[in-house]
Amino acid sequence: MGEFKVHRVRFFNYVPSGIRCVAYNNQSNRLAVSRTDGTVEIYNLSANYFQEKFFPGHESRATEALCWAKGQRLFSAGLNGEIIEYDLQALNIKYSMDAFGGPIWSMAASPSGSQLLVGCEDGSVKLFQINPDKIQFERNFDRQKSRILSLSWHPSGTHIAAGSIDCISVFDVKSGSAIHKMLVDRQYMGVSKRKCIIWGVAFLSDGTVISVDSAGKVQFWDSATGTLVKTHLVANADVQSIAVSDQEDSFVVGTAEGTVFHFQLVSVTSNSSEKQWVRTKPFQHHTHDVRTVAHSPTALISGGTDTHLVIRPLMEKVEVKNYDAALRKITFPHRRLISCSKKRQLLLFQFSHHLDLWRLGSTVATGKHGDTLPLSKDADHLLHLKTKVSKMPAFLRSAVQILFSEDSTKLFVASNQGSLHIIRLLEGSFKHLHTFQAQSGTVESMCLLAVSPDGNWLAASGTSAGVHVYNVKRLKLHCTVPAYNFPVTALAIAPKTNNLVIAHSDQQIFEYSIPDKQYTEWSRTIQKQGFHYLWLQRDTPITHISFHPKRPMHILLHDAYMFCIIDKSLPLPNDKTLLYNPLPPTNESDVIRRRTAHAFKISKRYKPLLFMDLLDERTLVAVERPLDDIIAQLPPPIKKKKFGT
Amino acid sequence: MVQLRPRASRAPASASAMVDEGQPASEEAEHGLLLGQPSSGAAAEPLEEDGDGDGDEWDDEAPEELTFASAQAEAREEERRVRETARRDKTLLKEKRKRREELFIEQKKRKLLPDAVLEKLTAASQTGIKKSPGKLKEDNLQKKNEECEKRSESKKVKEKVQSIGQNKSYVARRLKDQDLRDSRQQAAIAFIQNSLYGPGTNRTTVNKFLSLNNKRLPVKKAAVQFLNNGWGTQKKQNAKRFKRRWMVRKMKTSKK
Repeated sequence: MGEFKVHRVRFFNYVPSGIRCVAYNNQSNRLAVSRTDGTVEIYNLSANYFQEKFFPGHESRATEALCWAKGQRLFSAGLNGEIIEYDLQALNIKYSMDAFGGPIWSMAASPSGSQLLVGCEDGSVKLFQINPDKIQFERNFDRQKSRILSLSWHPSGTHIAAGSIDCISVFDVKSGSAIHKMLVDRQYMGVSKRKCIIWGVAFLSDGTVISVDSAGKVQFWDSATGTLVKTHLVANADVQSIAVSDQEDSFVVGTAEGTVFHFQLVSVTSNSSEKQWVRTKPFQHHTHDVRTVAHSPTALISGGTDTHLVIRPLMEKVEVKNYDAALRKITFPHRRLISCSKKRQLLLFQFSHHLDLWRLGSTVATGKHGDTLPLSKDADHLLHLKTKVSKMPAFLRSAVQILFSEDSTKLFVASNQGSLHIIRLLEGSFKHLHTFQAQSGTVESMCLLAVSPDGNWLAASGTSAGVHVYNVKRLKLHCTVPAYNFPVTALAIAPKTNNLVIAHSDQQIFEYSIPDKQYTEWSRTIQKQGFHYLWLQRDTPITHISFHPKRPMHILLHDAYMFCIIDKSLPLPNDKTLLYNPLPPTNESDVIRRRTAHAFKISKRYKPLLFMDLLDERTLVAVERPLDDIIAQLPPPIKKKKFGT
Repeated sequence: MVQLRPRASRAPASASAMVDEGQPASEEAEHGLLLGQPSSGAAAEPLEEDGDGDGDEWDDEAPEELTFASAQAEAREEERRVRETARRDKTLLKEKRKRREELFIEQKKRKLLPDAVLEKLTAASQTGIKKSPGKLKEDNLQKKNEECEKRSESKKVKEKVQSIGQNKSYVARRLKDQDLRDSRQQAAIAFIQNSLYGPGTNRTTVNKFLSLNNKRLPVKKAAVQFLNNGWGTQKKQNAKRFKRRWMVRKMKTSKK
């Protein structure tokens, strides 16, 4: 493999923002996640929990509620008083409509999916009709005294429950009037000065209303009589979210201490038909407030201020007990946020609102394997670029992905309508060269672009039609790699052989030869044999692929917890061999080393990795982001009293 | 001994006693004379004008008999007088108000734009100015282009319009609406901040939270963030500056 000097970079101050809302869509098995800075991400849970689509956000759009409606339509509402619909094909915002009720705190779509209910700051509940192209205001319900913080529809669509401060109201949808007003105790069996905020309500089909509030209680109410049936005191702090499964036999609540509780409907004795709600499982996967939970048919999903998205499959619901039933914690981004200029040794960091340019430090010391060398020159912070509105042609304004060619004379821009533009860059100006029109197929995920080092070929992924390869010199479509049912996570073209290497979200890797228009031999061999089972069980997707300039048989790729150099000349491992081979000691004989060596050289030395690339033949750069550094910049958590401290 | 009240000048004295204080003196004499004459009724003997005559207070005569008619007359006169004064007051006030109104109308007329400008404005709006959000207020300039989507439906023309260029495309917005919206959003954010992190919530710092584990280990370790680097920044800066100056001085003296 050779020896490398590694630049370990830890000054990328990447702090993701906390998760505010989560919405699960049953038909497509997709999860929409909105964060406190306004970004909305869409995860495809069946494609190995890969983040497919991404809508950048703005802080003024502080989303407080997210919901799916009929026909895969996504709506969000926030404190700026507007309801926003997202266009999942064009990857932008379709329109935003002001609800004229002040900041919107909650939103719920009716069980039929054709109506939208919105709870506002001034205490009004507004009903909107969802039309095929827009939403339309229908009417207001009775106005309440304080802000409506949570809403829930009865499964039949005839009643709704609205939680505000210190009380829960049950409305009749047809008349719009409040039937019952249930007052909530401020503290469990006591009096408190702090008002009781009802953070979540859920309406079951038998008329039970479940409420969770800031005093740490989960309460069951009977909506026919407006009385309290049962109280569970679950936490010392707020219980901030609730989600009920479709079958209504289990629900999940999230607390501010980071604990997630699972409640289930179990029969009182083993053969009686009477059932009651029992708190079954606590899960402690978060350190900060769990502000949102969702319940899919097989898993519990939770997200909160500590920025992790945790998906916990329930063992009793999972049919096949394999690695799919393991806990998934999504912390790091599934896209590449860092670019590297190899010749100048510069790194470009992409933040949500600005870009940072750094030059890497250098060292003159030498050492043995495993040593850390002192820096003689520190890394320099060169530039801090903020967004600027400048004169750009209209088609460039909605760019989804931008890539420079190897010699920096051309710029490839993928727009959100699916078309690709090539622009030649001149001194101080640019000239539009060509546009490749959108091909058939729906937009499946974010577009990824790759250009070959000699500048002849351009590969673009993202549609359901497969990866398209364009001939840049002749300005036409060269070929299309056959479509695969999992989205592409990384794309790269090798320098001399012009092989296109594609990594998918289910950890499969394909190598496609562009000049020959077919898969390479090596790719066919590995597909026939299959990857090692440990390779396929990795959690995080491969985000970057690069190549060694002098060794065409090597492919360097990494994901968040390992980096790997694939040596195509060595034999492939089968399921019985050790995948994570530690470096064999040098005193072992050559024969043993040859027997155990296989193509996948994996190192878990640098983690968690955000980016890894080859700077030149002897140097690597690894950008790490230790989890503690992220946690140190989060908001304060709830105090926990532990014995002995 | 019962002291009877002095009956020096009966009629005018009694009349003046019943009349308000604020009456002008000229009318008093008239009223007195009027009241002095009985309107009707029997046994109404004309009351004499006693100059000063019987200053004798120890008169044996019975008190004057005031007939019902005279009393009634007096009362009616009283009422009439009161009504008169009230009416006079009202008319005075009305006059004042009228004058004020006229003054205000004058001022308002002066404040409004001249008619010519107003006509031009309405004409311009009818020709259909392109409503694209080219020129927004300074606050909106910082927001991203996506914000252009949220165009408010209610546009009101501000009172003072700088230029009515028909070739420019602009959106006029009432400043009050945007401020109201911002203040409501601020209030909402403050509410959430207060309810989650405000007083009464049991929050701790991240450092303390992560150090709990370190405290319970068999070999106790220090806190996760042991050093406080933000301490005494001003002092450290001063020290650095002093050190630099001291070095320079030392170099100078050593050279000499």
